[in-house]
Amino acid sequence: MENKKLSRYVDELAARVNGVVEESLGVLVLKVQAPYIIEVLRGAKEFPFVPCDFLHDLCGVDCGDHFEVVYQLSSLHGPQLLRVKAIVDRENPVIDSATHVWEGANYLEREAYDMFGIKFKGHPNLKRIYMWDDFEGYPLRKDYVTEPIEVRNIVRTRIEGE
Amino acid sequence: MSIDKTQELVLNMGPQHPSMHGLFRMVVHLEGETVTHIDPKLGYLHRGMEKLAESRTYSQFIPYTDRLDYLASPHNNWAYVQAVEKLMGVEIPERAEYLRIIFGELARIASHQVCIASTALDMAGWSAWSYAFRDRERICDMYEMTAGSRLTVNIMRIGGMSAEPPEEFWPALQSFLDDTPEMLEEYYGIFFGNEIAMGRLKNVGILTKEMAENLSITGPVLRASGVDFDVRKAEPYSIYDRFDFKVPVRTGCDSYDRTIIRMDEIVESIKIIKQAVRDIPGGPIMAKVPKVIKPPVGEVYHRVENPKGELGFYIVSDGTTKPSRLRIRPATFINLQMLPIVAKGWKIQDVVAIFATLDAVLGEVDK
Repeated sequence: MENKKLSRYVDELAARVNGVVEESLGVLVLKVQAPYIIEVLRGAKEFPFVPCDFLHDLCGVDCGDHFEVVYQLSSLHGPQLLRVKAIVDRENPVIDSATHVWEGANYLEREAYDMFGIKFKGHPNLKRIYMWDDFEGYPLRKDYVTEPIEVRNIVRTRIEGE
Repeated sequence: MSIDKTQELVLNMGPQHPSMHGLFRMVVHLEGETVTHIDPKLGYLHRGMEKLAESRTYSQFIPYTDRLDYLASPHNNWAYVQAVEKLMGVEIPERAEYLRIIFGELARIASHQVCIASTALDMAGWSAWSYAFRDRERICDMYEMTAGSRLTVNIMRIGGMSAEPPEEFWPALQSFLDDTPEMLEEYYGIFFGNEIAMGRLKNVGILTKEMAENLSITGPVLRASGVDFDVRKAEPYSIYDRFDFKVPVRTGCDSYDRTIIRMDEIVESIKIIKQAVRDIPGGPIMAKVPKVIKPPVGEVYHRVENPKGELGFYIVSDGTTKPSRLRIRPATFINLQMLPIVAKGWKIQDVVAIFATLDAVLGEVDK
């Protein structure tokens, strides 16, 4: 019942922002281009009867030729679930910050920046959160090169006579 | 000439500080003893779990989940294996579901006991600490009987449970359940009913309902701010819809309610375990799952109610034996965002109290 109502509002919203609606294991997924993201999040927050007004999670995903920023939305007062995916350009990963919609996006966006290098425009304090400040590279990108096992083995082998 | 302003002092607390619950560091800006600004520094325990997952098969990642919130490791196993099962469409046997409920709720009790103990310890209540840890040992013993380890139990598998509890487990569980009302009375009598403890915790660190919702806070911290939200009720996973229990909600919004609500939750957990022990059927504990776990192409977000809040796993599968992306939504990492906002304007000893009642576990915060 809720899902049907939600589906109608999501379709309306998708038509407004030129998005694609899919369904994955019973959850509605709305895919949009990065510039529309704030409009989508604000729209979802104010759906009549079935507001998706609670941000559960925000994370980056590396899809090869582009990045996705995935928002898991729901409500504390109903069963509605919505997943919003914003497609971000890989060469120039910039997207508007959701901290003005939910303050709780603060650390999550810092983490996505730390791990994927996605820049959130308008974030109050966009710094690395887990890695140290002068760390180079973005670890969760697929093209991030970790130390190969051969190199590690060389380091761990004792030199003769040591 | 009057002096009404002191020089700002920047104080570094942690990572090696007894009240920092692991490796948490914060830079505290003080004016006299009053906090003007807090800058939390994370990452001292960062092991790159999400990156590690991408080079391990689905089954190989289960022991890693134990190391997230290591005070309630069965819950982390549970969230992860259920996410994979949802992705694969596996149904697990009834007995395994009941055993998962029993171990999950035992983990909740153990985790809350640690929270109660460490809150008491941070308020310099040494004796209360030893009482709660004494009782938690009995849960660790029950883990040990079944799984062989006491902290990182690694008890669940994709498709069921790794081990059947031995015969001596059931009397041990029964005697533990019988003793809990007395335990809770002891904790209350020795610490929470104490005037000094109340003075330190009551009306300290107010987190209003609106702030909590805006900051994506979940778990007991949210419920202590008067929001009736529990994943077990909102989106019943496993077989929680068969059990009769209440979700404790308190409206004090302060540190005291954030701690005492955990005592209420222990009472509800006891109720759930009693019903599970009464109704548990016989039968196998593992479903028939293929030796090589290969979920179809797709994605899933699965959440469970961890003792500390909502723990979610977002898995993107590309049809191979390893996940293409595994995202962990840690509860306390997000709950921690309230600390700089709530602690502003309080004295430095109140910051310790506020941080203690958040019940942060750095294994989960730093991943």
